[in-house]
Amino acid sequence: MTNHWSDIQHSDCALIMGANPAENHPISFRWLTKAQEKGGKIVSVDPRFTRTSAKADVYAQLRSGTDIAFMGGMIKYALDNELYHKDYVVNYTNASFILKDTYEFNDGIFSGYDEPTRKYDKTQWAFETDEEGNPVKDMTLKHPRSVFQMMKNHYSRYDADTVCSVTGTPKEDFLKVCEAFCATGAPDKAGTILYAMGTTQHTVGTQNVRAFGMIQLLLGNMGLPGGGLNAMRGESNVQGSTDFGLLYNNLTGYLGAPTMLHPTLEAYNEKETPSAGYWSNKPKFLVSLLKAWYGPNATKDNEFGYQYLPKGNKNYSHINLFSAMYKGELEGAFLFGTNPVVGGPNAGKEKEALGNLKWLVAADLWETESASFWQKEAGSNPSAISTEVFLLPAASSYEKEGSVSNSSRWMQYRWQAIKPKGQSLADLEIIHEMYLHLKDLYKNEKTPAAKPFNALDWNFGKGNHPDIDLVCKEINGYDLTTGKLVPGFGALKDDGTTTSGNWIYSGFYPEEGNNRAKSRDNKDTGGGNYLNWSFAWPANRRILYNRAAADLNGKPWSKKTAIIWWDASQKKWVGNDVPDFVVDRAPTDPGGTNPYTMLKDGVAGLFAGNLNDGPFPEHYEPFESPVANAFSSQDSNPAIQLFDGEFNLKGDYKQFPIVATTYRVSEHWQSGSMTRNQEWLSELVGHMFVEISEELAKEKGIKNKDKVIVSSARGEIEAYAMVTKRFKPYTIQGQKVHHIGMPWHFGYKGFATGDTANRLTPHIGDANTTIPEYKAFLCNVRRAN
Amino acid sequence: MATEYVKLVDVTKCDGCRACMVACKNWNDLPAEPQDFLGTMQSHANVSADTWNVLTFVEHENSKGGLDYLFRHSSCYHCVDAACEKVCPESAISYTDFGSVVIDHDKCVGCGYCEQNCPFDVISLKEYKDKNGKEYRKANKCTMCTDRLEEGLQPACVTTCHPGAMQFGEKEEMLQKAEKRVSEIKERYPNATIYNPAGVGGTHTIYVLAEKPSVYGMPENPKVPTSAVLWKDYAQPIGKAMVGGVTMALVGAFVANKFFDKKGKEHEEDGGDRHE
Amino acid sequence: MSKQQSSEVQVKRFSKAFVWAHGINAIAFIGLYITALPMYTDWFNWLYVVFGGPENARLIHRILAVAFILPTFIWLIFDHKGFFMWLKELVTWKKRDFQFFSEFVKELFGFKFKHVRQTFFNAGEKINSILQIFCAILLIGSGFPMWFPDLFPSALVQWSYFLHNVGFGLGFAVVLGHIYLSVIHKHSRPGFTGVITGKVPAKWAKSHYTEWYEEEVKKGNFPDLDDPKKNKKKGA
Ligand SMILES: Nc1nc2c(c(=O)[nH]1)N[C@H]1C(S)=C(S)[C@@H](COP(=O)(O)OP(=O)(O)OC[C@H]3O[C@@H](n4cnc5c(=O)[nH]c(N)nc54)[C@H](O)[C@@H]3O)O[C@H]1N2
Ligand SMILES: Nc1nc2c(c(=O)[nH]1)N[C@H]1C(S)=C(S)[C@@H](COP(=O)(O)OP(=O)(O)OC[C@H]3O[C@@H](n4cnc5c(=O)[nH]c(N)nc54)[C@H](O)[C@@H]3O)O[C@H]1N2
Ligand code: HEM
Ligand code: HEM
Ligand code: SF4
Ligand code: SF4
Ligand code: SF4
Ligand code: SF4
Ligand code: SF4
Ligand SMILES: [Mo]
Repeated sequence: MTNHWSDIQHSDCALIMGANPAENHPISFRWLTKAQEKGGKIVSVDPRFTRTSAKADVYAQLRSGTDIAFMGGMIKYALDNELYHKDYVVNYTNASFILKDTYEFNDGIFSGYDEPTRKYDKTQWAFETDEEGNPVKDMTLKHPRSVFQMMKNHYSRYDADTVCSVTGTPKEDFLKVCEAFCATGAPDKAGTILYAMGTTQHTVGTQNVRAFGMIQLLLGNMGLPGGGLNAMRGESNVQGSTDFGLLYNNLTGYLGAPTMLHPTLEAYNEKETPSAGYWSNKPKFLVSLLKAWYGPNATKDNEFGYQYLPKGNKNYSHINLFSAMYKGELEGAFLFGTNPVVGGPNAGKEKEALGNLKWLVAADLWETESASFWQKEAGSNPSAISTEVFLLPAASSYEKEGSVSNSSRWMQYRWQAIKPKGQSLADLEIIHEMYLHLKDLYKNEKTPAAKPFNALDWNFGKGNHPDIDLVCKEINGYDLTTGKLVPGFGALKDDGTTTSGNWIYSGFYPEEGNNRAKSRDNKDTGGGNYLNWSFAWPANRRILYNRAAADLNGKPWSKKTAIIWWDASQKKWVGNDVPDFVVDRAPTDPGGTNPYTMLKDGVAGLFAGNLNDGPFPEHYEPFESPVANAFSSQDSNPAIQLFDGEFNLKGDYKQFPIVATTYRVSEHWQSGSMTRNQEWLSELVGHMFVEISEELAKEKGIKNKDKVIVSSARGEIEAYAMVTKRFKPYTIQGQKVHHIGMPWHFGYKGFATGDTANRLTPHIGDANTTIPEYKAFLCNVRRAN
Repeated sequence: MATEYVKLVDVTKCDGCRACMVACKNWNDLPAEPQDFLGTMQSHANVSADTWNVLTFVEHENSKGGLDYLFRHSSCYHCVDAACEKVCPESAISYTDFGSVVIDHDKCVGCGYCEQNCPFDVISLKEYKDKNGKEYRKANKCTMCTDRLEEGLQPACVTTCHPGAMQFGEKEEMLQKAEKRVSEIKERYPNATIYNPAGVGGTHTIYVLAEKPSVYGMPENPKVPTSAVLWKDYAQPIGKAMVGGVTMALVGAFVANKFFDKKGKEHEEDGGDRHE
Repeated sequence: MSKQQSSEVQVKRFSKAFVWAHGINAIAFIGLYITALPMYTDWFNWLYVVFGGPENARLIHRILAVAFILPTFIWLIFDHKGFFMWLKELVTWKKRDFQFFSEFVKELFGFKFKHVRQTFFNAGEKINSILQIFCAILLIGSGFPMWFPDLFPSALVQWSYFLHNVGFGLGFAVVLGHIYLSVIHKHSRPGFTGVITGKVPAKWAKSHYTEWYEEEVKKGNFPDLDDPKKNKKKGA
């Protein structure tokens, strides 16, 4: 989130699209309700009418996988009706930048496309620059190759009629949404977009988010209280996990993981460090990280241990790993708190893939469907599986201490409530012990595998229980010259004299005895930002880009949306939040009107040349779709990686004419291990069901509560039919298209059992993140028996 | 008279999360009751002896032609004039100073009169087994968490309700809030109304509803059953008087006989065959 | 002497079936009452102790309820003639029946009264019967919905409580009077043996149910008390 949970209360309009927060992020509704009480509007755009839609002032349905068409239409609406925030767009975005003529867009393809590799040459998507390398601008926005005009041109094809014929949204509903949300283009209004997996779990997931970003920039909603682009994160600590480099392509603190393209530290720094913007400090963060990991073993002479880092050349995302596993390319796997036999795409095949491993370690609170994938109940033949499975009992969150970071980027410390049951251990203890054992085994070895193990500076105390306080301090970082904790990431250096386990968190433990993640002062420090409650990265800042909430002169756009402003008498930025700006940089100083300090140009990118699938979001149909793309002859995203073979069967719309999506319910958590093993939650949603419109039910002779079979190219599952008015058939390009949806929480273990929806989902991912396309695929339905 | 409290349920702020259902089971230690699939998101058809509140889900096509998905936390209303209390033959049900209506399990004999007479169908019997395996029954329902109120806490469901769809406080204040809220939402929900039915003297669980009560499956004009009023307020007192009256009459007759019919003794055998 | 003699003469009034039916009926009724009292009002809660707790009292009430329903069938099956005669009597109302009441009040309180000629059942008994039947229907008809509430619409169940309660009050009054007359009140007391043994003193019968008695005499079943000769032969 650029903003934070309690900030939602300031919103004049909350566009909830690709998420169902009433069910999946219920606490958001504490704040959404407050916003509504103050006259704010809630807009819900979802293929089906959800519990969120029930609370919304405006609801519009759209076919799964057509968000870019919808948002493209909204961009056009804002431009045509001049509802955008002009001063903001001109000054705080790259709308005025002139594009080089190498940039082109033609029939769904941007310039630089290489069909065999399905990759773009992104250098073709560049700005004209002057002699000093600064972008050429036209502040009138009239230049035909200005970003603004190119954008206008790009979305000129997204007129309401075409959009609605693609999304299936009733036109008047589409216009109602546009009207309600674009009203926040007024300088004294702020609108927020709340999104989650309905947005991202698509082959165009990243571009969906980009489209949201563009509309927020056009409406001048970024940086404002009650505004922002707000990803509601998933698992309780998924924010923390990505902050700490859990994704395969990141090191801690969103430093890109080195690959074969970065053979040396120097090469890495050269390639990855931009010339301007805050990321120009990247080498300081990386060296401090290496110093934290390898301690005295990281010296200037050995590139601070840079060579201990693996430099792969592949895509190590979930779907790629499982397809490698299916092919027998992997020997073993650790499942630390994950249950892919229920949660993975094309889960029937992922289950088979596990059987190709020599060994599998599952650390979990329960013996999940994945840990017992070899059982007869799982549909396997135990005698044909030779995988050796180890189950390590893990302690639950209540049984251990540590921190989790929520969507607001708040690092909140939690204390142990009860002692772990039985022999279960905290994950940290499991890893700690495992490291100590492995280090012992590698002690006398000089192999390449042994080196990084022996080099690690693992000093979290003696014994089996690591000292968490030492872990916390390592994250914050030390000044090695004084031995003291660093006050924040501003103090980090690239000469090996500082350490920091995660630069974005640096400053949460600025001095002995002051772990700010433990702060629990619930007094409002102004604007509902509660600065003394926990610690928000970076630098305890609650709203990112908050400089953009003030005009060029440093005055708030409006009294209502004020958050920080320039105080000429004190010569600094003051207000209700930690400024996301150099505190004493006056608006009249060089760069004083560039609010986007992280970015090279200091302004936000309506045009963004760094994504794999294009600088402007363009609508493509999902991998499996019932219709041809109305906008171009490119049906699906040209930049996605296609898998072939049995693992990735593609369904044809003649055989599978119904659009399907998967989602969550409040009562269950994810793959269900946490909730299907809990009786009070199991009784609330005790059965696998599929939501079907009354019209489709009639066509198929299905009655409410009937058992039905849902089939896709990947498999079949049985479920109860929930016939509902909350799904309606769509009219897409003049043709009736049915849409169904189902929860993906079920498996065969626990109190509430049922078939696993993921046996139906395709094994295909987004062009940038490889997140699987769980949200749009084709299927068919029939009555069981 | 002690302060009366009210649990105000503003269904227009409820997002259907059902945390209240879990919080209630948690606080009151109630077992799960797995149900058959009901064809909607609703988990239980109605409240029961082990499930003291149930979130109801209604898909309703409103007067504007739009779809409403209506959620309601349903539990005991804690009537001011509680039929259950009226009909209980064992005086096992009583009013507390908070305004809640509670059951004393020591007195309850499981007769089910309360279950049969509650105009809202929110009290029910549960079967238990004693040490010897003998079955017995007791009535159960929402207690308004009276045990928490006594400790100065709020009801468990109210505490857990994150959007503030439920509030607990002094009756007058809650009623004012309810009125204010209804006027706020009238535009969006023209049929919005307060549910505090006079037929049961008002309740201590008061609703702000988005639609007519019947849309939620609630009785439009609930009242203490006339039969219960006739039974308890008329038949029983008159019956008691009659029992007393007849007894008196017969005692009178017996005494009068002794007094006026002194000679009767001789005629005893022939039954007083005394023609003039 | 004649007094001595005439009082020894017994005539058959009730069949064995009636005696049994009535007995069971009476016991069940009284049992029902006693078990009902603590349910009816807290004054009698001490009675629960006697039955071994409220649950037991309710169990006994239900057992006795069945016992209470049985006698009608016993009488009907084993003495259907008597049963139908009774029913016929109940619907036959003539001038003498109305005259009976004014005299009965005098009788009840021990004043001078004269016998109005009555058939098998006097008007008072007929009223008693009618009221008893009415109460029994009320109590049984309402008792079942109370017993099996799931089988009946809830409005009916609710009204049953009321009706049962009315039945209780009414029944109490009627039965208390009935028992008083048969056990304590000296003029009617001789009839008591009738429901125990089936026989009553002929003389008493003749004076109380003159019409019936004379008819039986005509049929030759009963001795004509005014004709001592016949007396010996035809004593039942
Ligand atoms: N109760 C509960 N809460 C959870 C979780 C849980 O399992 N249970 N999981 C957590 C995790 S890990 C995550 S990632 C988040 C996910 O949070 P959400 O993204 O809110 O979760 P979903 O229910 O998967 O999807 C949200 C909505 O997207 C809609 N949708 C489907 N396709 C499309 C589309 O193409 N466009 C648009 N606009 N909408 C679409 C679905 O109908 C659904 O209502 O929730 C977190 N919170
Ligand atoms: N069809 C479909 N599939 C989806 C999605 C979808 O929307 N549709 N959503 C996707 C998303 S967003 C996500 S995040 C994934 C999630 O997929 P998974 O991460 O595989 O699913 P979870 O159920 O969250 O798995 C967490 C496991 O961790 C265990 N656990 C809990 N606490 C601890 C702990 O402290 N330590 C350890 N070691 N284990 C613990 C739990 O028991 C549980 O088994 O699913 C994805 N799958
Ligand atoms: C101790 C209890 C009772 C005694 C001693 C008693 C006695 C009698 C007697 C003596 C008669 C016969 C009157 C006659 O000769 O015609 C009679 C008749 C009858 N009794 Fe009872 N009775 C008792 C209880 C009951 C009860 C509880 C009921 C019903 C609920 C009942 C119902 C009847 C009826 C319907 C008749 C026939 C009509 C009548 O004779 O009044 N009796 N009883
Ligand atoms: C002489 C006849 C009867 C009398 C006087 C009588 C009286 C009563 C009374 C006073 C109550 C308590 C209800 C209240 O408080 O109003 C009661 C309860 C009840 N009666 Fe009867 N009753 C009689 C016959 C019957 C019969 C024939 C049945 C069944 C067919 C029956 C079934 C019940 C039942 C099921 C209850 C409820 C008991 C409980 O579980 O609490 N009763 N009765
Ligand atoms: S899952 Fe946790 S954080 Fe989310 S609403 Fe429930 S209690 Fe709150
Ligand atoms: S709602 Fe029913 S159970 Fe609750 S107090 Fe009223 S009558 Fe009693
Ligand atoms: S079941 Fe219990 S609480 Fe209900 S009326 Fe009977 S005795 Fe009273
Ligand atoms: S008030 Fe208490 S007992 Fe009643 S529903 Fe709420 S939590 Fe349950
Ligand atoms: S806790 Fe509140 S919001 Fe959630 S279902 Fe209950 S009443 Fe509704
Ligand atoms: Mo997630």
